[in-house]
Amino acid sequence: MTRSPIIEGTSDIPTQIFENFLLALGEASVPLELVARLRKALLEERTFTRRALTVAVLGEGSLS
Amino acid sequence: MIRVDSITIKEFRGIRDLTLDFKEKNFAICGPNGTGKSGVVDALEFALTGNVSRLSGEGRGDISLKQHGPHVDRRNDPDKARVTVKVTIPSLSKTVTVERRLKTPAVAHVTPSDAATLEVLKQVKSHPEFVLSRRELIRYVLATPGKRAEEVQALLHLDEVEQVRVGLQKIANSCEKKLVPLGTASMQARDTLLRALEVSEVTTAIVLAAANAQRAILDLPALTDLTESTSLKDGMATPPPAKPQRIPKAQALADIRAAREALAEIASVPSATLVAEVVADLNALTGDPAIAASVKQEAFYTTGIELIEDGACPFCDTRWDLDELRKHVQTKIDHLEDVSRKRIAAKTKIAPLIVALGKAQVAINTLVRYAALATPPVGCDSARDYSVNCGTAIERLTSLLPLAESISVLTNVPSVPPAVLDAIYELENVVAMLPDPTKQDAAREWLTVAQERLEVWREAMWKLNAAKQQAQTARQVSDIYATTSDAVLAGIYAAVEKDFAALYGFVNRDDEDKFQAKLIPSMGKLGFDVDFYGRGFFPPGAYHSEGHQDGMGLCLYLALMRYLQGDGFTFAVLDDVLMSVDAGHRREVCTLLKREFPKTQFIMTTHDPIWLRHMRTEGLTGGRSAVQFRNWSVDEGPTRWDERDV
Repeated sequence: MTRSPIIEGTSDIPTQIFENFLLALGEASVPLELVARLRKALLEERTFTRRALTVAVLGEGSLS
Repeated sequence: MIRVDSITIKEFRGIRDLTLDFKEKNFAICGPNGTGKSGVVDALEFALTGNVSRLSGEGRGDISLKQHGPHVDRRNDPDKARVTVKVTIPSLSKTVTVERRLKTPAVAHVTPSDAATLEVLKQVKSHPEFVLSRRELIRYVLATPGKRAEEVQALLHLDEVEQVRVGLQKIANSCEKKLVPLGTASMQARDTLLRALEVSEVTTAIVLAAANAQRAILDLPALTDLTESTSLKDGMATPPPAKPQRIPKAQALADIRAAREALAEIASVPSATLVAEVVADLNALTGDPAIAASVKQEAFYTTGIELIEDGACPFCDTRWDLDELRKHVQTKIDHLEDVSRKRIAAKTKIAPLIVALGKAQVAINTLVRYAALATPPVGCDSARDYSVNCGTAIERLTSLLPLAESISVLTNVPSVPPAVLDAIYELENVVAMLPDPTKQDAAREWLTVAQERLEVWREAMWKLNAAKQQAQTARQVSDIYATTSDAVLAGIYAAVEKDFAALYGFVNRDDEDKFQAKLIPSMGKLGFDVDFYGRGFFPPGAYHSEGHQDGMGLCLYLALMRYLQGDGFTFAVLDDVLMSVDAGHRREVCTLLKREFPKTQFIMTTHDPIWLRHMRTEGLTGGRSAVQFRNWSVDEGPTRWDERDV
């Protein structure tokens, strides 16, 4: 058996995905404040409710 | 993350009082069925997570940890039931004691207790998959792709990833839905503005020309540009606030004519023949149960038929004759397409009526405002009610469901109540009686009304454009998320697939050394196909024996855990997972665990003393790293027979 390459532990795949997503958003023509709001929701507060995501994507006024 | 040094179990499940010294090494627990092996596994899980998965979750009915966790004789005294484990945390070079009691399962008494230790124990708690039983193992191998995706996603903690994907998609869809009514509102605002300006099209030049003609009458300077903030009545003296608002005669008469035309349009757009035709179509559909969900179902079946591969239903994995299955699904699609065609045809036929109703609603609302300004006010309750009914009819006809109500709307709405026409006639008379304004007053009225409507149109356009921008952004965010997460997941599955194939190929290298596997993620599912002796890729349950399937389950679990935890994969409990694997392959499993996972402490249970011997002779467990339960009684619990006594 060829020994498997040493795989670094990926203890938090969601974080890995969220970070890649935010990076990709930063490279696209997406407003920086939207990226900042999503970063806060996904990585800092880790709230994934529809309400939290709506505020992150559309801004605070979107719920009124 | 951790290695377990020892465990002490008191009055828990079938165990009265038992201490096992694992010494942070691989350890085997052997004994016939019902001697307490799984009790030790449950105790380990309980001490580290506060839960016992065998006593909770799907299909457990009335069984609960608190009630059925304590020894049967202590079921009313859960405080006596407790498990204590001494664990080492290699990353912190620390040894700590964790105790949990059945009375308060959520509370772990940790000594010594510091932030770093608690963080590691929190990580362990969030990975209850360190216990692998045959039940879990089969979930990875024989489950349907949808279920397997769920299990693997749970193991990899991907539920949050999925939650965000669904959330972003719903936000994008909802933003796009809002564009339709906003588009209609802006069209209506534009029509009203055109009527006030007495022009047929809104361009900067046309609006400026019309406004400047009126401004010239008032000796106001001509406007040279039309920006977002330009006021057509700029410079015009504002009437004193105490003066009651006058009805702009010419404009009001034009609006009354427009309202009459709109009402006439309602009556003329759907001819009696057309209404009868649509009602007949809708009546025919009411008997079809597919109507309510046809759109979703049609999309579901259409996607499904594209996914039919290897003769299995993509939804439930039942194997079918491929042609039969396609024919079966196609029949459903044909029927739903037929229903959908009829719905779309009905919607197309009634679309002009919806537009006409919208126009009439706006026109009537304008007249209601004039009626309130008249002295004395003209009674317009019937017109106001009719406007509300128009709004309800628009909603009903737009959704077309429930059909019975749509049919009722279709047959009643076109007839405008005579009271509405009477009110309009009365208002027209009142307006006609108003003295004709001077040329200057008429110009002032023209500019005032035009400005009001220009503002309404600007706001409608602003809302529409803002909504378009939001919809575009939301869709872009959703698409980028889908692309990014798919790419990361594809990378993860590719790495796991490769590692899994290498692990399984090693265990079965006598005849499957070229073994390959495919993990295929697709729309929330995870397909799993394995090579069968070079004859092609098939689901694991198709041709491989039960023993091989168990081996696959273990290897897939090990590959996933190694990917997930890397060097942190230091502890796992394998609860009788290789019962169907023959002696030769078990030896290879021993070699595999020893060679590939030297940093992982495995606690293994088995009812087979030969397997226990293999673990020892292959060097997976040491001389004193095993316990054998000889028998069990409800009063005493398991009776142990240490290896050293042999």
